[in-house]
Amino acid sequence: MKTELLVIGSGPGGYAAAFRAADLGLNVVLVDKRDSIGGVCLNEGCIPSKALLHVAEVIREAKHASELGITFSEPEIDLDKVRAHKDSLVGKLTGGLGGIARRRKVTVHQGEARFTGPNSVSVEGETIDFDHVIIAVGSTPVSLPNWPVDARIWDSTRALELPEIPKRLTIVGAGIIGLEMATLYAALGSKVTLVELADTMLPDADAESAKVLHKAMVQQGCEFHFGTAVVDIETSSAGIRLTTSKDTTIEADIVISAVGRRSNAGKVNIEAAGLTLSRGDIIDVDAQSRTTVKHIFAIGDVTGMPMLAHRATHQGKIAAEVIAGHKVQLDTKLIPSVAYTSPEFAWIGFSVEAAKAAGYQAKSSSFPWLASGRNLASGGQDGLTKLVYDEPTGRILGGSLVGKNAGELLAEVTLAIEMGATLEDLALTIHAHPTLSETIAFAAERALGSLTDL
Amino acid sequence: MIKMIPDGSPSQRARSFAGHSVKATPDGQQYWQVDHSQYGAVTEVPMSKMALVSAGNLQASIQLIPSVTHGDKASVDLLEQFRKGLKGEMQARGVKLSVLAFLVKALAKALQEMPKFNTSLSADGQTLIQKHYVHIGIAVDTDYGLVVPVIRNADQKGIVAIAEEINVLALAAKAKRLKAEQMGGASMSITSLGNIGGTYFTPIVNPPEVAILGVTPMVTEPVWNGTEFLPELRLPLDLSYDHRVINGADAARFTRQICKYLTEPQRLMV
Repeated sequence: MKTELLVIGSGPGGYAAAFRAADLGLNVVLVDKRDSIGGVCLNEGCIPSKALLHVAEVIREAKHASELGITFSEPEIDLDKVRAHKDSLVGKLTGGLGGIARRRKVTVHQGEARFTGPNSVSVEGETIDFDHVIIAVGSTPVSLPNWPVDARIWDSTRALELPEIPKRLTIVGAGIIGLEMATLYAALGSKVTLVELADTMLPDADAESAKVLHKAMVQQGCEFHFGTAVVDIETSSAGIRLTTSKDTTIEADIVISAVGRRSNAGKVNIEAAGLTLSRGDIIDVDAQSRTTVKHIFAIGDVTGMPMLAHRATHQGKIAAEVIAGHKVQLDTKLIPSVAYTSPEFAWIGFSVEAAKAAGYQAKSSSFPWLASGRNLASGGQDGLTKLVYDEPTGRILGGSLVGKNAGELLAEVTLAIEMGATLEDLALTIHAHPTLSETIAFAAERALGSLTDL
Repeated sequence: MIKMIPDGSPSQRARSFAGHSVKATPDGQQYWQVDHSQYGAVTEVPMSKMALVSAGNLQASIQLIPSVTHGDKASVDLLEQFRKGLKGEMQARGVKLSVLAFLVKALAKALQEMPKFNTSLSADGQTLIQKHYVHIGIAVDTDYGLVVPVIRNADQKGIVAIAEEINVLALAAKAKRLKAEQMGGASMSITSLGNIGGTYFTPIVNPPEVAILGVTPMVTEPVWNGTEFLPELRLPLDLSYDHRVINGADAARFTRQICKYLTEPQRLMV
């Protein structure tokens, strides 16, 4: 088989690249080891986790409803049905993508691709020759060295299969994935303990906002051990015993390892194409997603941090356009992060400390959600909207939100930074009342001294 | 400094990377970026508001309308005899009966007969809008710039009424007292250099109209009648038209029609 463009991996980056390239008139083959398009994101990542987190949210809301005068009986959880709901949702979305691929005449090929030369791969014995290739093979969860293999030690993929609801669940790693798993299983009734090497959760995010989330999760029954490493793990028929660097032990029925993800670039025999990998199997690319070999492009998790679907999608479209002869590049480092916890936690751009280190005269302004009518009226708990800005110019440099729907609200702050907006731009834009989005304008007004809601 | 916060909006950055100018200044400005004072003394006079407005219209016309100019000449011996014969009478009534008044009337009649010239294109260029009224614009030269007052319903007015209206509008224009409703909405415009000089010129169409009629002074020319050259008074006409709407044959027929009315002015009555 011979094609103008081969895309290896059909995750959110790979399929976006393939479809964009097809729209630009290229003849495209898309290869994936799965039998459905969508990659980790659709099959065992973003989407299934959100389907399950929605279930968790419903349980939690039902519980809170008693405070509003409506009391439900204790929930009965039919795990098979929950799983089936998630699986049908995933099926619907991946099936939809298959249809989109057919409409665009993208040839989808199942199998694992391995490079056999700079212009050819072999997929399950079949050779595919190409003029250009986009490597989009993503990442897999890191498994810790020296850990035993045991059915009771899960990675995030296994955890999303919802095998059971453990009584005592320990999650190693309090990053976004660890926190989301904690949110899910705590709602389903597990007693969750999180162990994290760093001194706080999400060290890159705003500390004050992280505290709000931390408090809420503790209220949900999560126990945190920060600054703690797991030094030993023993499995027995009674359970799993973790020994920590603080000489304590934690007993668990199930352990989820959520210590990060590793690029899959080492699995496609990339050396045959004339490429070398950086530390952690990362492929180095320029702003056009081009590797050191002119006709080979790489996008998404294989190109390093942050390993996020929306970054891969943008890189994928740009790579497709570059291959089609357009003069484009990814000209932004602003990649939003969202933790779908309860409450949600979302952030973008600089924190105050990072902005100061970068040379800005940075300050921050915040608005507490306990003063937001909309938040309280819709059963929201504590939350915070915080903007980071450059004091002399008023330009927005970053922002973080913690609270209900924070992930949705973040888009306004992201657009503000991309468009070079100032505090005044946000404050003078009329936000509907009562909404959660008002808190962004309020935080800006607070910095300008024109706030009347506090 | 870590470049986290980008300059400009995402689309501006994309365009600038692709090699496009992202500034809103018109292209070609560099041709005017000349220090003229290095060659001799200069003074600077700001363009008036009015001049800037007409500059914009003229620029749009030349850039957006594929226009062609068609020339013709009308024999106007009879017309001039007729007009001069009426001169005393008209003066007594306080009317200055100019050739322009006859030309307005002739153009109005020609527009009725060939309605294709009485149209405008829609903004997207997909539709031709036929006008069922005949309004004639007259370009008037003033101290402050070019203005185009309009004679409404010229097809329904007599030549004397048109002549009177031209005088009123020209005086108002020169006194800067034209009202908004006295301008705009013309079927076609006339630009006359008849009282100044010249032999021919290429006027540019006043958008959104589809044609403009230019006039230069009448001249006596020798015309071969088959046996000898005889002097004949002729009026040069220059018709510029939007070639998207009008083709060359239409333009030739249109100016011929106007010439016929001017050559045999009695036709203007019927």
